[in-house]
Amino acid sequence: MDRVARAIAEPRRREILALVRDSELSAGDIAAGFDISRPAISQHLAVLREAGLLSERREGTRRYYRAEPQALGGLRDFLNEFWTDRLERLKLAAELEQQRRNKRGKHRDSNRGRGGGSDRGKP
Amino acid sequence: MASTETATAVEVEVRIGANPETVFDFFTDPDKMIQWMGRAAELDPRPGGVLRCDINGRNVASGEYVELDPPRRLVFTWGWEGEDSVTKPGSSKVEVLLAPDGDGTHLRLIHRDLPSAESAERHGHGWRHYTERLSLAATGADPGADPWTSPDGAGDKS
Repeated sequence: MDRVARAIAEPRRREILALVRDSELSAGDIAAGFDISRPAISQHLAVLREAGLLSERREGTRRYYRAEPQALGGLRDFLNEFWTDRLERLKLAAELEQQRRNKRGKHRDSNRGRGGGSDRGKP
Repeated sequence: MASTETATAVEVEVRIGANPETVFDFFTDPDKMIQWMGRAAELDPRPGGVLRCDINGRNVASGEYVELDPPRRLVFTWGWEGEDSVTKPGSSKVEVLLAPDGDGTHLRLIHRDLPSAESAERHGHGWRHYTERLSLAATGADPGADPWTSPDGAGDKS
């Protein structure tokens, strides 16, 4: 996580990710878009790759890069996933709670000597 | 579970085998909330009251209750604390609708007033938010942080 945060904290690395969002580019193509040294670009690419935000493919001596899909999710995708996951948990928790409440309700009913099936509970 | 999205809103629906009264409490009682969201929650369920939920020890969701109409409906504002947040506390709104459905509840959650993709992009936030996304996803995948990962909810890993 910290690795990802660090990786995208640097503006140039965010620009690199934007470049390879939709298309795969070679290291040379990427470097051509920046006015910094090739080794500096390589360093940025390594950081992004180690953070899992970039995938690398080698073809001969060339290396091609593409942004990993999980690096590209939008805010709505994120929230959609977030709430879907949370509500699935809520469903399980609420259903268990309902079962508990129903049991407690039955106990109360039988103690009070009324309600469904109550005559079995008390002498 | 079904979900739809519009330009600046996210909508998720789920059918729950518990009545609306039971479900409603999970949005207002801290002990119940942390059964489905976060590690700790600070809730003051009245209009203007705080709703703060520590999701994973790193990301804190924060907002205020706007409307409470138990057990049918509640509205609260929502956002993430922190400088990098795209969705600042109180900047977006969550509406929860609970409709009786047989002996259960049909829940609709609508999260609206989200920053548009363009404005997030324009402000350079487009990339930042997935710090949130990834760390939260990591929490969701961590069964230790949340006891409700299996239907029986008990006795998992120990």
